[in-house]
Amino acid sequence: MSEPSKKLVVLGAGPGGYAAAFLAADMGMDVTVIDPEVNPGGVCLYRGCIPSKALLHVAKLLSETEEAKNWGIEYQKPKIDIDKLRTWKTSVVDRLTGGLGQLTRQRKINHIRGIARFLDNKTLEITDLDGKKNKVAFENVIIATGSRPVEIPALKLESPKVIDSTGALELNDVPERLLVIGGGYIGLEMGTVYSALGSKVTVVEMTPGLLPGADRDLVRVLEKGLTAKFESILLNTKVVEMKEVKEGIRVRFEGGQPDDKEQIFDKVLMTVGRKPNSENLGLENTNVKINERGFIRVDGQRRTDEPNIFAIGDVAGEPMLAHKASHEGHTAVEAIAGHKSVFEPRAIPAVVFTDPEIAWCGLTETQAREQNRNVQVLRFPWAASGRAMTMDRIDGLTKLLIDPDSERILGMGIAGAGAGELIAEGVVAIEMAANATDLKMSIHPHPTLSETIMETAEMFFGTSTHIYRPKRK
Amino acid sequence: MSTELKLPDLGENIESGTVVSILVKIGDRINKEQPIIELETEKAVLEVPADVSGVVEKILVKEGGDVKVGQALLVVAEETETAAKESKPVKEEKIKKDEPEEPGKATKPAEKSAGEETEVEIKIPDLGEGIESGTVANILVAKGDRIEKDQPLIELETEKAVVEIPAETAGTITGILVKAGEQVKIGQPILKISITGEPEKKAKTDKPAPETDKREAGEKKVQKPEQKSVIQPVTTEPVPVAEQKEVSLIPAAAAPSVRRFAREIGVDINEVKGTGPNNRISIDDVKDHSKKLHQQRTAGAAAPGTFPAVPLPDFSKWGETKREPMSRVREKTATHLSAAWSTVPHVTQFDKADITEMEKLRKQFASKTDAAGGKLTMTAILLKICAAALRVFPQFNASVDMQNKEIVFKKYINIGIAVDTDSGLLVPVIRDADKKNIVDLSVELTQIAQRARDRKLSLEEMQGGNFTISNLGGIGGTAFTPIVNAPEAAILGVSRSRFEPVYINGKFEPRLLLPLSLSYDHRVIDGADGARFIRWVVEAIEQPFKIVLEG
Repeated sequence: MSEPSKKLVVLGAGPGGYAAAFLAADMGMDVTVIDPEVNPGGVCLYRGCIPSKALLHVAKLLSETEEAKNWGIEYQKPKIDIDKLRTWKTSVVDRLTGGLGQLTRQRKINHIRGIARFLDNKTLEITDLDGKKNKVAFENVIIATGSRPVEIPALKLESPKVIDSTGALELNDVPERLLVIGGGYIGLEMGTVYSALGSKVTVVEMTPGLLPGADRDLVRVLEKGLTAKFESILLNTKVVEMKEVKEGIRVRFEGGQPDDKEQIFDKVLMTVGRKPNSENLGLENTNVKINERGFIRVDGQRRTDEPNIFAIGDVAGEPMLAHKASHEGHTAVEAIAGHKSVFEPRAIPAVVFTDPEIAWCGLTETQAREQNRNVQVLRFPWAASGRAMTMDRIDGLTKLLIDPDSERILGMGIAGAGAGELIAEGVVAIEMAANATDLKMSIHPHPTLSETIMETAEMFFGTSTHIYRPKRK
Repeated sequence: MSTELKLPDLGENIESGTVVSILVKIGDRINKEQPIIELETEKAVLEVPADVSGVVEKILVKEGGDVKVGQALLVVAEETETAAKESKPVKEEKIKKDEPEEPGKATKPAEKSAGEETEVEIKIPDLGEGIESGTVANILVAKGDRIEKDQPLIELETEKAVVEIPAETAGTITGILVKAGEQVKIGQPILKISITGEPEKKAKTDKPAPETDKREAGEKKVQKPEQKSVIQPVTTEPVPVAEQKEVSLIPAAAAPSVRRFAREIGVDINEVKGTGPNNRISIDDVKDHSKKLHQQRTAGAAAPGTFPAVPLPDFSKWGETKREPMSRVREKTATHLSAAWSTVPHVTQFDKADITEMEKLRKQFASKTDAAGGKLTMTAILLKICAAALRVFPQFNASVDMQNKEIVFKKYINIGIAVDTDSGLLVPVIRDADKKNIVDLSVELTQIAQRARDRKLSLEEMQGGNFTISNLGGIGGTAFTPIVNAPEAAILGVSRSRFEPVYINGKFEPRLLLPLSLSYDHRVIDGADGARFIRWVVEAIEQPFKIVLEG
C-alpha cells in the first residue's frame, strides 16, 4: 500500500527534528515526522539534556546544603527517596515531551510512530511499532536521527551493573562505588549527580586531562571542584578488563597511578563518546554519502549529496549539541523553502553542567595556539567578583580572547557557577562582531557574575576596577 | 623621536626623480614647509618641502641620485619627542606581551648555549601600595606545565584585591612551593621553573643545529613586517607574524542579520567595506556595496571607464516617438565604439592622394581581377598599400597593453574592412594581407564583403584585425574622422575622390584627388609618425613602385 506523496518528511523528533518540523509547518509546508516515541523530544528530552539537568539541579541543592555548614547553617543528612526523585524527573520529561506533542498536533504535523529507511531518493519504507511496513513517497527529507552511546567491544559485558548514560538516568539505585569510564562531559555530569546522591565516584580517563579539547585553565577550575567531590580521578589510565563478580564488577586498570590496579565497583558507567545513527537508514539506496566516522556529508545548507535529502544534528557532524541541531534544522527548512540560508555560526556555545559549570564559545585558547594566532587572552578571577563572594563561589574564572588589532571578541570561556547562563552574552557579542570597547561600555548589573565579562573586557585596556595588575618594567 | 622624511606624492603621475641639490646639512634645524631638496622630474625641477620640523640627523640621498615617491630622504629628530613617547603606553604594553613573537628578540637566546637548563624560583613581586602579604587564591598552573612569559601563575588575594602573579620568564614548572589558601609574603618563592635555551623549538624540531632554527625563525619574523611596511610606511615598529595571518582569519565584522541580508541579495560579506567602528558592517554598507557592484556592472557593459548613461528626457513632450529594440549588431557597435572612444586618445591626420595615374592603371587591369572573380577597387589596392605600410611602420601594427605597461607588436598583418550592411556596420578581417597580391585580395574582398551583407560571417572572421580600412567614397564626403577599432592602433578612412585643380609646373591641372583620413592611438603613435605613415600611403598610391621598393 502506498500513501500519497508527502512534501517534507523529518526522520527523528529530537531538538533538531522537531525544530525543523515546527518551522516547516509554520511556513506552510505539509510535514510528516517519523519517530518511535509517543511524543517528540529525542535523546535530549528523554535520555539526555533534560533529565540530566533535573538531576544536576538536585545535586547542586545537595552540595549547597553541605556547603551551608560554612555559613552557619547545618542540615541533617538528607533522606533521599530515589523512587520519588525518579518520578519527579520523569514528570519533567513527560511534561516537556507532552507539550511538544501538543504543539505538533496544533501545527497539524503528521506524526508517525515508527522507524524509516530509504528505498530510493523518493521513497521511504516505514516500519511502525507493530512491525507493519508502509511505503511513503516524499519530496524532501531531513535526516535527524541523532546519535547513541559508543560501546567498547573489548569491554562489553552483559550485566545490569554496567550501564550507559541512558541507564544512569534511569536512576535504578545509588551504587556505593561507581566507576565512570570516560572523562567527557556526560561522564562528569553523571558522576556529579551520583556523587551528590551518595556514591563514591571514580572517573577514569585515557588522556592526560578531563574534557579533552577544552581549555586547560577552565578545566583546572572544574578539576579542583571534582577532586573534592569524587573518590578519585584517574588520568592517563585505561580500563583493560571488566569481570562480573559477586560483589560487583572487578575492573583492571593500566597506566596512570591508580592505588590498586584491580578494584571492585558496584556499578560501571560507560561514557566514552557517542556515534551518529547513520546505519540502517537505507542510505545505500540513495546518493547520500557518509564519512569515515559515520557522519552524513552535508553542505552549508545541510544538503546531502542527494539534493532533496538534508541531514542535521548529531548525524551530520560535530559538535553533537542540541542547540546546534535546532539551528541546522531551521537552515535546512529555509533551504527547502528556497531561501539562501546557510549554516554559518560564528560561535556555538558548549556547556558542561558540572559543579562548577564550564562554558565556552567561539575561538578557544587551544585552537588559537594550534592555529598559531596572536590573540590577547584576558582572565578575570572570580575571587575579585563581589557576587561570587556572596555566593561563596570564588573558584570561577571568566576569560576573553580578543584580537589585538581590531579589538574584536573572538572567544569567551567561563568556569564557575552559572557559566552556562553567562556564556550566552559571549555568543551574542561574537555574532554581532562586538569589540572590547562594546563589552566594556555596556553597563552590567551589579552585583552579578555578568560583571566579570565587562571587567574582563576592561582588562584589555589595561585597567579593570577590581583587578590590580602590577605594571611590568 | 626620529622620523624619516619621505619623498611625498608629487601628483601628475610622477613616480621618481633625480636629486639636483640637497638644501640642508646634518645638524640643520628645519621648519615645516622648508625646502629640503631640489628634484628634477620628467616634467620639471621642483623643491621638496619638509613635512615636519626638527633637526636633520641623517641625509639618506645623494646629489645626482634617483629617488622614488615614498623613499626616505632624511632622518629628522622631531621636536615633540617626549610628548609623543608618553602618549603611547598602551601600545608599548601590547608589544611587551607579544615579546616571544618579536623579531628583535629572536637573537637573544643565542647568548645562552642552547639546551642548557637552569632552575629559577619565581617569587611574589613587590605589589606596591604597602601590600606585604596575601593569600594564594588559586594556582593556575601545574607541575610539568610549559609556561610562557607573562602567563598568570597564581592568583593572590590581598587585603585590597585579587592580583595575578605572572611568569617573569618562559619555562617549565618543576615545582610548586605554595598551596591554595596559604599565606605568602612579598619575595617568597612560589614556584620553581626550569629554563632551557630555546626549549620549545628544540622539542618541536628534529634538526640538531639550533643555529639554523634560529635563523629560520628570524627570517619568518622579518619578512612579514616588511610587507606591512609597504602598506603603512610610517610604522617603524616590527609587527608580529601571527598578527598578520590573523587579519584574514577574522570573520567579517557583521551581525547575523546583516550576513543574511547580504547573502540574500547576492553580496559576499567578506568583500563589503564596513564603515562602523573597527570596520563593522551595517545593512547600509551592504546596500552601498551592492549599488557600487551594480554600477560597475552596468558601466562595464556600456564601456569600461565611462560614466553611466545619462537619464533621457521624455521626448514625447516635443512630438511623437517610437521605440525599437537595438539589434545585436547595433548594441555591440555601441558598446565597442564607446569603449574605443573613451580609452583611445584619438588624433586624425588628413591628406589627399593624386590617383589620376592609379585610376588609369586600375581601369587597365580591371579585366584581370574580373577574370579571377574579384573587382579591382580602390579598397583592394589600398589593402595592398596599407599592408606594406604596416610593415614599414610597425607601431601601426601594434596594440597597447596598459595593464602590463607593454606594447604588443604583431608579426602578422591582418586588415579589417568596414562593410556597410543592412543590419549595420560589420568588419570582416583579411588575414596575411601582405602575403597576397592585389588580384587575390580583390577576390577575397569581394567574397567576404558579400558574406558580410548576407550575414554569413563567422565570429572568427571578424576577429584578429590589426588595422582597419573604412571606405565611404562610394557614398561621398570630403573627409571624416573614423574611430580606431580598438585594440587596433589605427584606421584609415577613405572619402569620395574628385577632380581638383592642382598647381603643377606653373599651371593648374585637373587631377583626381582621393581624400584620406588616418585616425590613430596617440598612446603608441606620435603625431610625426602619423603624418609619416599617411604620407607613405599617399606616395605609394602615386608611385606604386614604392611598394616594391620599400614595402
